[in-house]
Amino acid sequence: MTSGAVENEVRDLLRSRAPLARGRDLLPDDLRLGPGGLGLDSISLVELLLECERRFGLRGVAGLLEGPPLTVGLLIAHLRTSAGR
Amino acid sequence: LSGARRVFDALEGGLAPLAGSWPRLAFSGAGAVGRLRNWLSRRWPSPEQVQTLFPRQGVDPVRPLVRAGADFGALRPPLVLGFFHVGAVQALGVAVERLPGPVLVLRQGSIHTPRPPVRVESTEGDGQRRAASFRRALDHLAEGGFVVMALDIVPGPGFRVPCLGRSIELARGPFALARIAGAPMRPLVARWQGGGVAAEAGEVIAAEAMPDREAWEEALAAEAARWLERYLLESPAELGLGLLRSLLADGFRTDGGS
Repeated sequence: MTSGAVENEVRDLLRSRAPLARGRDLLPDDLRLGPGGLGLDSISLVELLLECERRFGLRGVAGLLEGPPLTVGLLIAHLRTSAGR
Repeated sequence: LSGARRVFDALEGGLAPLAGSWPRLAFSGAGAVGRLRNWLSRRWPSPEQVQTLFPRQGVDPVRPLVRAGADFGALRPPLVLGFFHVGAVQALGVAVERLPGPVLVLRQGSIHTPRPPVRVESTEGDGQRRAASFRRALDHLAEGGFVVMALDIVPGPGFRVPCLGRSIELARGPFALARIAGAPMRPLVARWQGGGVAAEAGEVIAAEAMPDREAWEEALAAEAARWLERYLLESPAELGLGLLRSLLADGFRTDGGS
């Protein structure tokens, strides 16, 4: 999968799962996934990352929760790197 | 009144040193003093009073008093055990030490140092920290463990479901955890009984699977509230002040809630 395809798929996934993302054409890289950004609650955050694991055939994506506040850019960068290996 | 309060404070203070060596005597005495005090004052003991009564000793004095039900040994992971703040909820930390497998307790803060096979995970913090705890609980279930968590403390999203003619708010997390992990859920309770604490697991909380994830979780939450209602109707003395306040804060239902 190309890096552009990963990016498009993640943005589509966010629009399908985060009500606050639905009406937005642009989802900037620095937009947070949780409160103050797309407003995903704790359970929705976990489900989003588990869905990424399923779609991209990856393990450990949910481990991003242990790091800094998750943003659109952080998630895309992680998936690009992991899917490209 | 202040004189009577001082007498009771002194009586309870005198019991505290006994808790380490003679826990059965100390807790029975505390029960008798508490009952007399409540009967006289018609008020409930507060958590602060409980802390004052047995300071610094945590749950150690309770440990020899806790009897896990025969069904405890038959419980098999992965299993989510959800508890309400009813009865001797403080003793559950000891009771789960008797579960036959690794135990992860999710709770806000930690009131005592857990013993193996129990590990405590804090659910304090922002949404991402709670999500990280939730993910670790999923991993724990996937590895074949027990996860223990409160149903009636709602740090994140929740459901308001009917109970005892009113409604209570239950946390969405435990039900989402059971759904995502595909693990069964059972309620967990403990009650003072004959100078000890009896802990037991209730029957499995189940609801027919639905395509709408949240609707399914809400149906599970409603089933859990129905279990609590049955339990409290059978054992009304187990209702604690916190849950009573929560129920009283909500208006009576007029749509057929029992």
